[in-house]
Amino acid sequence: MKALLKQKEISILAIILLIGAVLSFVSPVFLTIGNFLDIIEGNVVIGILAIGMTLIIITSDIDVSVAALTTAVAVSIGYLFTFLPDSWISVLLLFLIAPVIGLVMGLINGLLVSIIEIPAIVVTLGTLNIIAGLVLYITNGNYVNSTNFPQSFMAFANYELLGLPILIYLLAVVAIGTWFILKHTLIGRSVLAIGGNTQSSVRVGIDYKKVKLFVFAYMGFLAGIAAIAQTAYTKAVDPNGMLGLELTVIAAVVLGGANIHGGRGSIHGTLLGVLLLAIMQNGMILARIDTYWQNVVTGAIIVIAVSYDHLSYKRSQDKLAKIEVEA
Amino acid sequence: MKLSKESVLGLIALATFLLLAVIAPGFLSSNNINSMMFQLPEFGLIALAMMVVIVTGGIDLSITYIAALSGVGAALMLTNGYGILPAIIVAILFALACGAFNGFVVSKIGVSPILVTLGTMVLFEGIILAITKGSSISGFSEGYSLIGNGYYLGLVPLSIVIFAVFAIITAILLSKTSWGRSVYMYGSNETATLFSGVKNSRVLMKVYLYASLLAAISAIIMTSRYNSVKVDLGSSYLLQSVAAAVLGGTNIHGGYGKVIGTVYAVMIFQFIRNGLNLLGFHSSLVDVVIGAILILVLAMNFFSDKFKKIAETKNAGKAA
Repeated sequence: MKALLKQKEISILAIILLIGAVLSFVSPVFLTIGNFLDIIEGNVVIGILAIGMTLIIITSDIDVSVAALTTAVAVSIGYLFTFLPDSWISVLLLFLIAPVIGLVMGLINGLLVSIIEIPAIVVTLGTLNIIAGLVLYITNGNYVNSTNFPQSFMAFANYELLGLPILIYLLAVVAIGTWFILKHTLIGRSVLAIGGNTQSSVRVGIDYKKVKLFVFAYMGFLAGIAAIAQTAYTKAVDPNGMLGLELTVIAAVVLGGANIHGGRGSIHGTLLGVLLLAIMQNGMILARIDTYWQNVVTGAIIVIAVSYDHLSYKRSQDKLAKIEVEA
Repeated sequence: MKLSKESVLGLIALATFLLLAVIAPGFLSSNNINSMMFQLPEFGLIALAMMVVIVTGGIDLSITYIAALSGVGAALMLTNGYGILPAIIVAILFALACGAFNGFVVSKIGVSPILVTLGTMVLFEGIILAITKGSSISGFSEGYSLIGNGYYLGLVPLSIVIFAVFAIITAILLSKTSWGRSVYMYGSNETATLFSGVKNSRVLMKVYLYASLLAAISAIIMTSRYNSVKVDLGSSYLLQSVAAAVLGGTNIHGGYGKVIGTVYAVMIFQFIRNGLNLLGFHSSLVDVVIGAILILVLAMNFFSDKFKKIAETKNAGKAA
């Protein structure tokens, strides 16, 4: 099983390297550090959300409300800016308040999924409608631009450490933190166990409801952090800016090797999935492919990738079945 | 007397109608009822398509883009001087091609529907963008606009007649044909269905083809009503159609779902959207209400099931 997992992430890496090799021939700009930093910084938000989504997909659920959640937190940040004083304490406070707002909304999703036992796709569909509707009602669709932002936040957004934008560090912290939770904590191991086999894991005494509550609350928490990243990156709060982003996030997680039926998935795989989508988009722009064709290519790659993944999964399952018959 | 889930929903639809008739000014005016009847069919058809797919335990995220693509097909024919009938045929063929592609990957390769249709959603959107270059195609013949704007026998909107016909056809197909029974069987237990001699892949293929056919009909009504087509034709109906199917009692894990339930749910959505509009609510609050209703209804289902179980165990205790 471990060898299989390894294989999978390596095959994604191989695809990325292949596309990268082609692109570096097509465009001399592609293989520059500047371009790479642009690609990563531009996908920090998707990366953070995809990491949270990985945990949910590992437990074989799905959350389609992430983009709405992030937008709601971003809009709250925009309102907070009118109250907060212009100093570094505000930025610190923001990092306390935004994740908590996200966490509360994630908890609502989690409670509905775990206690009331409504299927996650329906719950998050409902909260997506409610949150997105409220955001549009309150903001009237108007967006706030950076002239209203405190200078301290702008300084944070433009800060670079050792030549790398601060947002990249933010993504790294989230990735390493989540990897640690998944790998070395009880709750993280329970997430994988529930995804692998719900019944057996409940029998060994894992609290199913607590784990479900945790993954959705954690998703909300990360949505709060993603909202800060989004605000810092775009230097604006746009209530319509992330429409439909949840599907990109899910696509990245799945491309990264997580199984929608649960049990499989890893943080580095997801990051590779995000990178694959990002490089494709960047590459098509650099290769001057007509923008109208870009979706065709992206869609085709998603379909091919999930089909290929499923075929190889089926093949490995067939092998397993044969051994059982023999014994 | 015991009422089925669908009858309760029908009563809720009736209650919503009566309530809005009392509190919303002009709700009962013939103008307003007419406009509701013109708006309902396009959404209703997409919701039915989604319901059929959900009954198999799947979901079709590409359904509105299938509709948009088939609308583009019709629009291309019409603007190039072909008649109405060839345009409709091309629209249906475009949709069936999309449905066949979804069906092939889902049934033959066996990838889970949510992933396949997530990919094809982006793919179909891309194809539409490549054809239309992001702009809209408009200016169809007057005859064509009658499909979405005309009246049948000068009384009932033609589009609602079309919707009624397809709702009845769907109900008959699902409950009276062997394909329909296999759809429910597949939804409740895939393996058992296969072992009882049903060709699962063929059943699934037909499900995706039928859903895309309904999407095409919806697209024809939409393009005719708006007299134009763009890449986002009907895209707001995507998540709403899932909501309608689920509110209509369809089990999101598959195996259960009735046409009449979905129709009631679509009507409830239509009444609420229209009524809140008349009451002067902001249009985005309608989404909030619809989302809240969806969660409330399912929470109520959960609690009523729970109470029933508690009552049953109590009764069992007494009997013992």
